[in-house]
Amino acid sequence: MPEATKSVWEQNAAPRHRIQWCPGCGDFAVLNSLKAALTTLELTPTEVLLVGGIGCSGQIRNYLNGNSFYGTHGGALAYALGAKMVNPELTVFALAGDGDTLAIGIENFVHISRRDPDITLVIMDNGVYGLTKGQDSPSAGLGHPAKVSVEEHPPFLDPVKMALTCGATFIAQSFSGDPKHTTEMLVEAVRHKGFAMVNDFSPCVTYNKFNTYDWFRAHCEMVPGGHDPSSEDAAWELIRDFERREKLPVGIIFRKPREKAPAKRLPMWQAELERIDLEPMLKGLR
Amino acid sequence: MKVNRMKLLVGGVQLRDGVSTITDLLGRILSRAGLYVMGLERGFASTIYGAHQYDPLVITEEPAVSWGDEGLDILVGLEYDVDPDGPEQPNRDSVFRHGRNVVDGGVLIYDSSSGAIPVDALEARGIRVFSIPARQIATRDLKKEVVKNVVMTGALFRLLEFDRDEQWLRRLLEERFGRKGPELVNLNLEAARRGRAAVEAILAERGWSNVGYRLEPRPTPASAVYISGNEALVIGAIEAGVRFYAGYPITPASSILEFMEEHLPRYGGRALQGSNERESIRAALGASAAGALSMIGTSGPGLSLKVEEFGVSGVTETPLVIVDAMRAGPSTGMPTKSEQGDLFLVTGGGHGEIPRIVLAASSIEECYTLIHEAVRLAEIYQCPVFFLTDLNLGEGRMTVPEAVFRSGQGAVTRQLATEQQARESRYLRYKITDTGISPRLLPGTRGGISKINSTEHDEFGFVTTDPPKRVAMMDKRMRKMAKYLQNDAKPPQVFGQLGKGPLLVGWGSTRPVLLDAQKRLQTEGINAAVAHFTHLWPFPTALAKPILEAGKPVIVCEHNYIGQLAEIIQAHTLVAVRRVLKYNGRPFYPAEVVRAVHEVTHNGATAVRLGGKDPVMVEVSSDA
Repeated sequence: MPEATKSVWEQNAAPRHRIQWCPGCGDFAVLNSLKAALTTLELTPTEVLLVGGIGCSGQIRNYLNGNSFYGTHGGALAYALGAKMVNPELTVFALAGDGDTLAIGIENFVHISRRDPDITLVIMDNGVYGLTKGQDSPSAGLGHPAKVSVEEHPPFLDPVKMALTCGATFIAQSFSGDPKHTTEMLVEAVRHKGFAMVNDFSPCVTYNKFNTYDWFRAHCEMVPGGHDPSSEDAAWELIRDFERREKLPVGIIFRKPREKAPAKRLPMWQAELERIDLEPMLKGLR
Repeated sequence: MKVNRMKLLVGGVQLRDGVSTITDLLGRILSRAGLYVMGLERGFASTIYGAHQYDPLVITEEPAVSWGDEGLDILVGLEYDVDPDGPEQPNRDSVFRHGRNVVDGGVLIYDSSSGAIPVDALEARGIRVFSIPARQIATRDLKKEVVKNVVMTGALFRLLEFDRDEQWLRRLLEERFGRKGPELVNLNLEAARRGRAAVEAILAERGWSNVGYRLEPRPTPASAVYISGNEALVIGAIEAGVRFYAGYPITPASSILEFMEEHLPRYGGRALQGSNERESIRAALGASAAGALSMIGTSGPGLSLKVEEFGVSGVTETPLVIVDAMRAGPSTGMPTKSEQGDLFLVTGGGHGEIPRIVLAASSIEECYTLIHEAVRLAEIYQCPVFFLTDLNLGEGRMTVPEAVFRSGQGAVTRQLATEQQARESRYLRYKITDTGISPRLLPGTRGGISKINSTEHDEFGFVTTDPPKRVAMMDKRMRKMAKYLQNDAKPPQVFGQLGKGPLLVGWGSTRPVLLDAQKRLQTEGINAAVAHFTHLWPFPTALAKPILEAGKPVIVCEHNYIGQLAEIIQAHTLVAVRRVLKYNGRPFYPAEVVRAVHEVTHNGATAVRLGGKDPVMVEVSSDA
């Protein structure tokens, strides 16, 4: 990546020395991959809206140039939905963690998957709540045998299966230990017209002593070349197959292009708010 | 003979008898005929089917001051019994519930398809009773049960000697069903004729020439609409420039969502039925941040779920209009009954402190005019603006002259930073200014980027916990409220002369009743004034205090237990207030307010709580 282009994403961003992630955090790789992907896509900071989730992951919006919105825990996708609805020209990201997306924000995750807006969701999945010092998140226990689960620690919730069930049209997984691949996945996700989810395994070096970089390296496996991502059945088979072998698929698991592109519309704020004719509304009330 | 002045109530079984079909027909036709119809105190149940529903209409020549007292001139009962296994029993729910309210010399007309009701006790009071087998006529003679309501409408029109040549009814039917062919129109007209004939027969049999009430079209009917508060609010909002609306179905705010979904796309906007209350408000905040004038609507239980986002709107300085169509609480409360119990929630809801503005509409007309103000204030002050209405206003309907909607308020002026302005210096979303209002550059505009942040932040939008920065940012945000109080706060509207007697203070939909009560007190020689608040928060202390100090005494009337506005007034102005409170789900009636004022002024009551007595079932017959 040429330095000059890269710096575009570093202006107006918190300086590197103020980044508050722990040294070695997987989110650094996501940040770099995101910069690389945005550069590849030839986007400018004014064209993107980064909606941050709460948690370590949500900080990413501060470390990157570009418009951003930061609201409440679990809300990233819903804010993103509203923004995209009124300004389709913005490239909208929801950048959230596993707790944010799969616990408190699951209502938004489920229903916005169904709605299929043209938004890219990046989950920085580390299995813990890092910002609040290491409590279990819904994706805690990744790779543990299910039998250790007790009532207080229910089994791992798989965002890939959730997204597929709820109707997301682009589902991919990546690993922060392979930032080049993460970049590719992000590029594909943004190019996808519709709701795109990239679940990035982003190890928490401080609190998750089980799902380490080494553990992920041993368990992540590329989606095989022959996989047909456009088939939902194939996606399910792939997931089941990886589950049986206790591996994690990395790559594009499901991608269903939109059959009909939605009508192009102007960003709403650019539309002139001139005096309007009220007659159509009054007509039915006489 | 009372001409063009009456209170009529239609009652029946919810979702079966079509109570609102009749009142809607009447409301539209009479509004077209130049009369004023006010149907604001509708009663329906939160059960789906089978409960009692009623819809009182006040019909007048000039706009009515209020819906008046409980007394009825004409009672229309639509119930009949259809239990195929049981013995045929006339269903008398409406007659039982409302019969006692019919004034002596009034009229009762009911569907006698399953037998006549013994009503000698009512007849003894001079009430004229018309038993019309409307459903029987519809099913037996016309082979179409749905027209039973038109049979009843025809009967009513004959009673009131209205629309003799069928012109009003025919025109409305043609507009509604004309596209489906003349058969449907003719069938309905025939149904009306049958109803007319049935009344004719009873009049002839009893030797009555009339029933003491008559409706006459006014010579120059002003063009008017028969409109609900929620519809008026949507029209006002869309005209003001709202282009994004989100809601989640909830009584009584659902009709805002439905009307928005029907019309907003026509004006280039989008309406979203959120998957839940939180998705709705978050999407609206996202839409507002991305540049659309945004609005949401809900009622108390939904507003409780949205509370966390009040803070987001306040701290991120993202404008949002939040409509709360209040219903009785707490929790699920009484979903189909009105109350004014959410004032504390909107003035104080949420953790921490944020700038916010609270407005309350007092009439259907004001739902249209004041929502414009709400949108304008949100755009200027970049904070949540709460707009309070209630079930009576939202679901009630009333004749409103079309001229009201032709006044042409137009769209609000957007307050957005331009590319040029942003380029001149480094763009700061939360720039510290004297007014507290920072330039707002929308994402997507070249020249700067917006870092919108709900965590405490510095001027650029980055997180900070630095004490001086926190203080500066908090001060900046709160300065907006000082600016608002200086520029846009309104004192209560005052009706009547201050300082001569008691001051009735109210907010929201109670205004017409207070004005009516004031008129009645006047006839008793008591010079009461009315002060009515529309701009409730931040409380306009400086503007309101001199007015309130003139009250001898100050009597705050509201639909809640505590007296929420009374508390606010006492806290902010140190004026001692008396309270008249009602929270049984029914609106105030003017006679009640007058009685309560006497309680306060003569007996020194500090608080009068109304409406606690159980409803009394009326004996309609001595041998029933």
